[in-house]
Amino acid sequence: MLAAYLKRGVKAGVVAGLVFGLLIAFVANPLVAFADELGHGSHAIGDNHEHATGEHHEGSGGAQHDSTVSMTVTNGVSIVSGVLWGILLGGVVFGIAYYFLEPVIPGTGGTQSYLLAVAGFITVSGAPWLVLSPQRLGAEQALPAELRSMLYGGMMVAGAFVCLLAGFVYDRLRDTHGRPTATIVAMLSLGLLAIPAALSPVNAVESSLPSELASGLTGTIVFGQALLWLLLAGTHARLRRRSMDTGPAAIATDPTDGTLSAD
Amino acid sequence: MPTANNTVHGRVEQARVELTPTQLAVGLALVAALGFALLFVQDPMLHDSMHNFRHAAGITCH
Repeated sequence: MLAAYLKRGVKAGVVAGLVFGLLIAFVANPLVAFADELGHGSHAIGDNHEHATGEHHEGSGGAQHDSTVSMTVTNGVSIVSGVLWGILLGGVVFGIAYYFLEPVIPGTGGTQSYLLAVAGFITVSGAPWLVLSPQRLGAEQALPAELRSMLYGGMMVAGAFVCLLAGFVYDRLRDTHGRPTATIVAMLSLGLLAIPAALSPVNAVESSLPSELASGLTGTIVFGQALLWLLLAGTHARLRRRSMDTGPAAIATDPTDGTLSAD
Repeated sequence: MPTANNTVHGRVEQARVELTPTQLAVGLALVAALGFALLFVQDPMLHDSMHNFRHAAGITCH
């Protein structure tokens, strides 16, 4: 049974991961390269860089961002990492976590998938972003890298805890106080994330990028992650509905390519 | 059989019956390795290779 759940989660992860890989290939790779160039490179580029230094983009491909690997490697590995990222999230959240938590996630059918996606987004991205802003290109940061990794991990734990708490609170209050109250209180319990966010050391960021580009990058990053989770949930809900249609026997007997083989 | 145990506790129990400790260990190791590599490794070589991905995913970077 767990194997069937895991398979569905990983399948959803592959679909979402491939799309996220495409997003990296066509949006993030060129955008990050350009922003790096702007952030680390010559600051002589003025506001009219689009017209005046048009050849600048083509000219200095690999010179910027003192990297130990070539641009091609970075682009390729980043795309592969994006696909793996989708598979990891799909397998862990929609495979393993969904298997264990299915009885207590509110709602039925597809709603459960989308709720789980929201919880996953809060855990993996939303909560850490409260402490460390998602956009850090070409930025000088106050905190050292190790501490920031620890903060990121810590906020992931806090995010997971708060999401579980919200689910628990909802389950408790639904029977006694009705659905609307339970929903509101569960939402409020998400606000507990403000406490660790306020207590954590402040990561002062000094960005050298133009503010329009910086906010555009932030939007792209948030949009990318939201899209990833939406795709995960959508694919997962669809796969789940299909397995329901073929009958619960298909889940129980670990189907091999959909054929209902009687073992 | 699949819908009989509709509690979290039931699911945990069933997983305990279905999985061998080896499977569990291998699964956990895989997830931990992949997650750690994607999120936290600061080794220059790996880090620079995944530079664009980490920025795209908003994961803490250099």
